[in-house]
Amino acid sequence: MKVLVIIPAYNEEKSIERVVDNLVVNYPEYDYVVINDGSRDNTAAICRRRGYRFINLPVNLGLAGAFQTGMKYAYEHDYDYAIQFDADGQHRPEFIRPIVDKMEEGYDIVIGSRFVEEKKPCSLRMLGSFMISLAIRLTTGVKLKDPTSGMRMFNRSLMKEFALNINYGPEPDTVSYLVKNGARVTEVQAHMDERLEGQSYLTLTKSAIYMIRMITSILLIQNFRKR
Amino acid sequence: MTIILRVILIIVCLLTMVFLIRKIRQAKVQIEDSLFWIFFSAGLLIISIFPQIADFMAGLLGIYSTVNFLFLFIIFILLIKIFNMSLHISQLENRIKELVQRVAIDASAQGEKEEKREESRQEEKPE
Repeated sequence: MKVLVIIPAYNEEKSIERVVDNLVVNYPEYDYVVINDGSRDNTAAICRRRGYRFINLPVNLGLAGAFQTGMKYAYEHDYDYAIQFDADGQHRPEFIRPIVDKMEEGYDIVIGSRFVEEKKPCSLRMLGSFMISLAIRLTTGVKLKDPTSGMRMFNRSLMKEFALNINYGPEPDTVSYLVKNGARVTEVQAHMDERLEGQSYLTLTKSAIYMIRMITSILLIQNFRKR
Repeated sequence: MTIILRVILIIVCLLTMVFLIRKIRQAKVQIEDSLFWIFFSAGLLIISIFPQIADFMAGLLGIYSTVNFLFLFIIFILLIKIFNMSLHISQLENRIKELVQRVAIDASAQGEKEEKREESRQEEKPE
């Protein structure tokens, strides 16, 4: 099974080398592609210097656009599975194998979830995640313990939908819409690291806005979309 | 607000939401862009069902007729929306400009590379 690891990167000069080197050296069985989303720092220069496989977006498109670029690439290069992988080093590649194994059981989407076996901590950060889980459970009946996890793997038929359509961002509301329209989804236990360098783009207000957007989208919009 | 006005407002809000969902299904609008209209319709719906809110706000601002407050409120919201759209359009124009320039520069670089290849091939011939 050909697996492509899609690494959207925006201003990740501090961590991109560590992340890609780890994949290349320790996990050569997976192909990867870095999607440079119009970074203003040295991300592109680093990729060129180290000879990484990367796609340079001339203009910043945001995570959805960058991820979709990766999906287009995956589809056009005949990959069977594509997984989103963070450029900041929070995702760990040792959990790609269990996700692939689960995909081969016949799922359309497999999510690397932090809370399959481990308990979700009861903090403010997790409140949003809990509310999104609840919204998804209300509209689809499926219990996702870590809906905001970015480590999601998609099979080839979904790859095509992501590559060609509007409104297919790599967010929990898209997952909710796909599940409601027949996609089979499951989670696999994965551990993630904390961000080591740089600042997370999420502040309290941004997180709150994101939560409201997602929950509104899941309950009021994705509930009514047809595939 | 008369009961007729309220009923009309409620119907309009519901119709707006239905149209919006239709446009989303037809892949004619991005969900992020539709959220404003969803919240706007929802807000108007709430005011139609509970006119006391509008009565209270009108009183606060010294506006005699509640409907006038409603007009002011809707115009204000639309002004904000249009301003945001101006910003958005500026960003879009800028992105297109970047793309055009990038394509042009890359095409010209490609052209130069091919010229160099042609030249070096010409130089190798007289052997």
